[in-house]
Amino acid sequence: MNATFLRAGLVVWLIAAPLVAQAKCGLISGKGEINVISNAFSALNDLAKEMESCSRPGLKVTVKITPEARVETERAFATASASPFAAAVVSMGTFSGLYSRGQLQNMTDLAKKYRSRYNIEESMLVRVDGEVMAIAFMKNTQNLFYRKDIFDKHNLKVPVTYAEMLATAATIKSKESSIDFPIAQTFAKGFDSATEFVNLLASHGGRMFKAGSARPEFNSDAGIQAIETMRALLPFMTPNALASNSDDVMNQFQQGKAAMGVLWASRAERMDDPRASKVVGKMEFAAAPKANASGRVAAHLWWDGVVMPKNSGQDRDVVFQVLMEALDEETTRAANDRAIWVRSIYQPTRFGAGVTATAQAGAPIWPTEPFFGLAHGEIGKVLPEALAGKLTPKTALDTAAAAYEKSAADHGFIR
Amino acid sequence: MLLLMAVPLAMTFYFSLQQCALDLELVTVTQTGPFGSQAVVTQRARQDANGKPIERCEFIGFRHYERILGLDNDTTTSAAKNEAPNEFFAALKFTLTYIISTAPLVLAIGLLLALGVQRLSTRWRAVFITSALLPFIVTPVVAALSIKWLFRDNGLIPFLLSKIGVQVFWMAEAWSAQLLIVLYGVWHSVPFAFIVLFAGLQSVPQDSLEAATIDGASKWQRFIYVTLPHLAPLVVFVLLIHVMDAYRVFEPIVVLTQGAFTTSVQYLTYFVLLQENNPFKASAASVLTMAGIAVLLVPLLIKTYREQRGIA
Repeated sequence: MNATFLRAGLVVWLIAAPLVAQAKCGLISGKGEINVISNAFSALNDLAKEMESCSRPGLKVTVKITPEARVETERAFATASASPFAAAVVSMGTFSGLYSRGQLQNMTDLAKKYRSRYNIEESMLVRVDGEVMAIAFMKNTQNLFYRKDIFDKHNLKVPVTYAEMLATAATIKSKESSIDFPIAQTFAKGFDSATEFVNLLASHGGRMFKAGSARPEFNSDAGIQAIETMRALLPFMTPNALASNSDDVMNQFQQGKAAMGVLWASRAERMDDPRASKVVGKMEFAAAPKANASGRVAAHLWWDGVVMPKNSGQDRDVVFQVLMEALDEETTRAANDRAIWVRSIYQPTRFGAGVTATAQAGAPIWPTEPFFGLAHGEIGKVLPEALAGKLTPKTALDTAAAAYEKSAADHGFIR
Repeated sequence: MLLLMAVPLAMTFYFSLQQCALDLELVTVTQTGPFGSQAVVTQRARQDANGKPIERCEFIGFRHYERILGLDNDTTTSAAKNEAPNEFFAALKFTLTYIISTAPLVLAIGLLLALGVQRLSTRWRAVFITSALLPFIVTPVVAALSIKWLFRDNGLIPFLLSKIGVQVFWMAEAWSAQLLIVLYGVWHSVPFAFIVLFAGLQSVPQDSLEAATIDGASKWQRFIYVTLPHLAPLVVFVLLIHVMDAYRVFEPIVVLTQGAFTTSVQYLTYFVLLQENNPFKASAASVLTMAGIAVLLVPLLIKTYREQRGIA
């Protein structure tokens, strides 16, 4: 009886298994060789696997995961010939530049055609003047990471402002012998420190550009205050802070060497990775602090999404379906903890608590001006000089503003 | 061969004299997405009848060069001009410091290793040569990452140093960050010098060494008057390759310090291309970089040429 039952089960399984495997992308009709480019972090690795699983005879899907995705995407989408990538996973910073240069494909018709099949939700559609130009799938922001066990042990409150954060850091430094450097933040030259500056500039009430113009305004009093806030943190950070990127800061938290700091929410889940972390279950997440009590929270909201280039050489219908297969509800369910997903079925976890709190505290959306990246780059280049005390904050910002103006003029943003 | 080298150089120079920009218009658009809706004042490229963005290019002469070298009339405040160093010269300064620091160390350590391995038995030679070549074989980015993980906070080296009461934060100050880059350069390049010089040692004429021994020359004298002159062309060769390689120093700067306290001419070109997103200005930086390497290599090339032609 048992043997008969097992044999029957085996036959059913042998027949059903291929069907189950194919069901994932089984409805895609069409052929092609679809290359997709993507940034590198854990949730995006999951998406890449989902996309590549759609490969079958006649349809080959490959995903290139690289930390230099922004640059490669911009180059590929700008070529006169067909782009080597039929789609790209981009953050909103990259999106605004691509859109501004008119290099993105309008996906309005595809979103409408496949909306019900993939249950594409309105909040996923990134529209510009009503036209769908990207499909967003995850949210991200920088928020406060803190060691709850240490905060509880010393009866400390979660800081709401940077002044409170400094006072808390001083307490931890004096009372907690296991922590030499209570604060860990991404102050590395380039993208990291510039992003911290932009967060603090907005929180201090400053603006990057003059209203309705590409002319810089970040070399203002608010800009100087933003740098001074960053400098005030340095005595509580590792002396290696000016070379600390997201990986380094994550490592400091995982090794239990830092007690608090602002870091990307997409890194939160890694705090509980027992293979790399000594602080499993000890980290909690809250809203990013404000520069001052009356200011806005010093963080911005980001989304990540998929876009298709205008110069694509592939069947846009097939490409869109492959992308949507990877962004379907099943992916969100299976990788719920790996990201802060846009889909409504996402079940918020403690890793996403900081994002929710930061958004509720009024964090603005990351600037989308196409010339923003140029200013951001120039700030990141000179900021460490100011943090190291080699240049005054005013001189550093004036230098960045002058360099930015020349660069923006080269690109035609300033005449 | 000449064509393969000359055409890219000529094209790079040609691009360095141009600047292209999109024909942009100021627009207010409404963006909606996961965080709701907002009106954004932005700039957008005008498009032609085929929906392609309109781009205009112009000949700008040496404007990019003037800007990189800090010779243009810029709008920077005088205070900023006086205090902020010109980035090209800062990059050139560190690049030259790196070359001058690493070259003698690479040659000296490479030679010492070659002489040491020469004395080993054949079996141990194979083991040593294989392991010594590893730093040279590993991809530079991976090698730089490995070194970074050794030296960063909580890394093995700071941990071991702390055990003997020494606390160094390698990326905290200019001297330590630059020293770390130099150490990486030496570690990565010594295997090449070692293997070339070791090969050279195998061909030192034994009859000359025996004649010197019979004439009463000491070990040191045999090394100075027989072995070293024999290795001289290889030393020049190793130096030539190392100077060219070191002039392109890039990976350790990007990976180890992310440019904090350190920079290089190659890193500068990378920055212009990636951050400023300006391939035309990056072309000018490339041409200046190539001019620099030409100046650096002239003495070595002249020496090699004279040796090949048998000119004393």
